[in-house]
Amino acid sequence: MINRLPWWVGGILMSGLLLLTFSIYGADRPLGASTYVPLFSGIIFDLDPEKYSYLKEIKNAGSWEGVMLLGALFGGFVTSVFITRSFRFSLIPSGWKKYKNGSVLSRLFWSFVAGFFMIIGARLAGGCTSGHFMSGMSQMAISSMIFGTVVMIALLVTGKFFYNTKDK
Amino acid sequence: MANVIFVTEDSNSIVDRVFSMVESVIHQPHGSVALVFLIGVIFGGIIQYTRVDKFEKIAGFAMLKDTIIPKMLFLTVGLTSIGLYFMIDAGQAHYHIKPIIWQGLIVGGVLFGASMAILGKCPGTGPVSIAEGRIDVLFGAIGGLLGGLVFTLYYDDFFKPLMGESLGKTILPDFFKGSGDITALVFGITVIIIAIAIPKRELFDEEDLSNLPDNKRPDKKEN
Repeated sequence: MINRLPWWVGGILMSGLLLLTFSIYGADRPLGASTYVPLFSGIIFDLDPEKYSYLKEIKNAGSWEGVMLLGALFGGFVTSVFITRSFRFSLIPSGWKKYKNGSVLSRLFWSFVAGFFMIIGARLAGGCTSGHFMSGMSQMAISSMIFGTVVMIALLVTGKFFYNTKDK
Repeated sequence: MANVIFVTEDSNSIVDRVFSMVESVIHQPHGSVALVFLIGVIFGGIIQYTRVDKFEKIAGFAMLKDTIIPKMLFLTVGLTSIGLYFMIDAGQAHYHIKPIIWQGLIVGGVLFGASMAILGKCPGTGPVSIAEGRIDVLFGAIGGLLGGLVFTLYYDDFFKPLMGESLGKTILPDFFKGSGDITALVFGITVIIIAIAIPKRELFDEEDLSNLPDNKRPDKKEN
């Protein structure tokens, strides 16, 4: 079932997509994937976009990413059904069972908490893996290099202490 | 004009808001709605087809048991940085630099990195995972939407002051005035070499592997 592209093909394709997105023949902007979240929050919790300064600030970027995200959901779904054939409903990853615990409740709780702080973190820094790491570092932006370094350190330290990786 | 059609008594309905999102893209000079959607389709397709949306890849990297994520990320950055520099030089693209806000980058980076290790997804790979049927990630997305709500509600009073002052939008070539071309080449090639030099390690999802015959299992053969 593992139908997949090697990492280097993925890197070349992703690079082509970034260049297309940046180019004046494409979207003439970077590719980002976290500004859409507060835009969707505003829609779902019915916040008046005229009353909140942040919603005004992100209206354009959030809308662009929102449409892109709908495409990503569609592309991800179609690929998972027809190409990787990995579509299946699941509540807990096998890596979580192996290195954390077998509790679905624990996985759902931690997913929720991590999702919450992930978006706060991305919005504080002004970007995520796509906007900062890929788009920002590709422009050799110092801000993105700082973010990338801090994220790598926090990711590895958390990975070391949150999971039981010894003797497995 | 489309608003005229959608103005009803409940002018703030979700359909209306989603429509105004699409309308905003129509009015922006950043590609047609079809192109932006297509960029998303390709983005989701690449993430899905390379399987980098998997918990075992992202949390696996946090545990240093899988290195596909950094290899692919660094290769993407290395290749793009060289191409983009010369495209911008030729006027075929523009810079869109994010400002150096030390507090925001550090506090945000710590929260983001720690959450990424636990969720095993980021805001781009998460939705692709949900599209693949991962319910636990949907809970992460609900958490994320609440995070977006809290950020929006307390932006002026709490989060904006926490982010700190911008120290400008510096890029690496600013430090090497006059030799931007060489800076871009050296940076790009160095990052590509890092991508290749990171030793390849893989953590597989046993639920995926168990569906395969032995001779197709990537953990049992070199690929």
